[in-house]
Amino acid sequence: MRYAVRALGWATKIVWILMVFFAATSVYSALNVKMGFGQPQVFLSSGFIIISVPLFVNNTGLYDLSELNMTVAVTDYNESFASTSTTFVPLIPRGSSIETAHNVSMSLDDTTSKLLDYLFNDTVFNLDLSLKLNFAGAIPFQVSTNMTMPWGAPLHNFSIGQFSYNYLNLTPQELIIPISFENHSPYFSVDGFMRVEIYNDNSELLGSSVSDLNVPSHSSYDGQVETIVDVSKVTGSGEVHFYFETSAFSIGPVVMSYG
Amino acid sequence: MVEKGQTKTFASKFVPRIVKATLLVIITYLPLYFLSAFIEPFQSFFPWYAPTTNLFAAVFMIFLVVGVFTSGTIYQYVFGVARALVTMIFFICVLNGGIVALAVPVEGASVNVMVDFRVILAMLVLVCLLGIGKNVVQAIDFVSAKVETKEL
Repeated sequence: MRYAVRALGWATKIVWILMVFFAATSVYSALNVKMGFGQPQVFLSSGFIIISVPLFVNNTGLYDLSELNMTVAVTDYNESFASTSTTFVPLIPRGSSIETAHNVSMSLDDTTSKLLDYLFNDTVFNLDLSLKLNFAGAIPFQVSTNMTMPWGAPLHNFSIGQFSYNYLNLTPQELIIPISFENHSPYFSVDGFMRVEIYNDNSELLGSSVSDLNVPSHSSYDGQVETIVDVSKVTGSGEVHFYFETSAFSIGPVVMSYG
Repeated sequence: MVEKGQTKTFASKFVPRIVKATLLVIITYLPLYFLSAFIEPFQSFFPWYAPTTNLFAAVFMIFLVVGVFTSGTIYQYVFGVARALVTMIFFICVLNGGIVALAVPVEGASVNVMVDFRVILAMLVLVCLLGIGKNVVQAIDFVSAKVETKEL
């Protein structure tokens, strides 16, 4: 009985010492782990809106960090689910650091109506960020936050003004269409080409033209498109089709009625 | 003369116990004091910590002192078991059953932090169970030794 008591006493003492040692070194290690998110960046690339969230982890503690799992879910203004993505880092050994970018991509090709919405209307994206990791293989840890990211529409308030003709004394006439919009995007400029096709109300092509666009961030465009049209086909009303080919996005036709 | 002898017996019996109890209370209180000082800057995130710890410290020390004063009797082990039970309940309460969840305001946004201490809690509970087991075995040993002495 005495031996049993003595063994239990020693076992208790040893486990207590181990616990205190592990607790102290864990607190020390946790204080030496630097982790953070950078400012999210947004850019457009081949039919995708890419939201890039920089992440850095500097583990100068005494224990390894494992199973780092970062998930970002993006929802748009009407709470509709836009995208979700996960970044997984199996191991961050002690004394090392990682710097990675977590990319959330939203395909725009399959959601033309959404793309139009994002191109022409400002909105706010809601980002749900969650980061899980296992500390020292014994303490699972999770951080989650919610942040909003304003989205500035690159073609905000896109509108066409009153048509006018530049009479050339010939059957084809030069049609002048005033166009204006504001590039609200803080992330990219609208630079490229805009093709304009004008149709009458019988859906006959009256003429088309291509214009250069170079509208930096947070600036407005106020210009006009001159198109040679066959006046004999002009019906007073119809549609204008716009095709945009820029470094950031390609879309078309964007249809606007006139008359 | 008899009174003087009684006082001497009382003093020789209780003064060492008072000294021992005082020392044990100081030794027990010190880690709690340092832990509280360490936690203090984060007190707003752990509002349940201070009241639970104060209550635990009070109850634990009462059992500790009573245990010292009842040493040499079966009650020493009873209070030892009670002390281990209180410690176990304290850890379960203060670690919120193993899952500690906090909402930390950072630059206007709320960051939710969740730490899973279940493995640590399991180890702490194991230590407390070992303590309880030790006290129970000691109590059995004490009782059997007493019975043996009586029989002899």
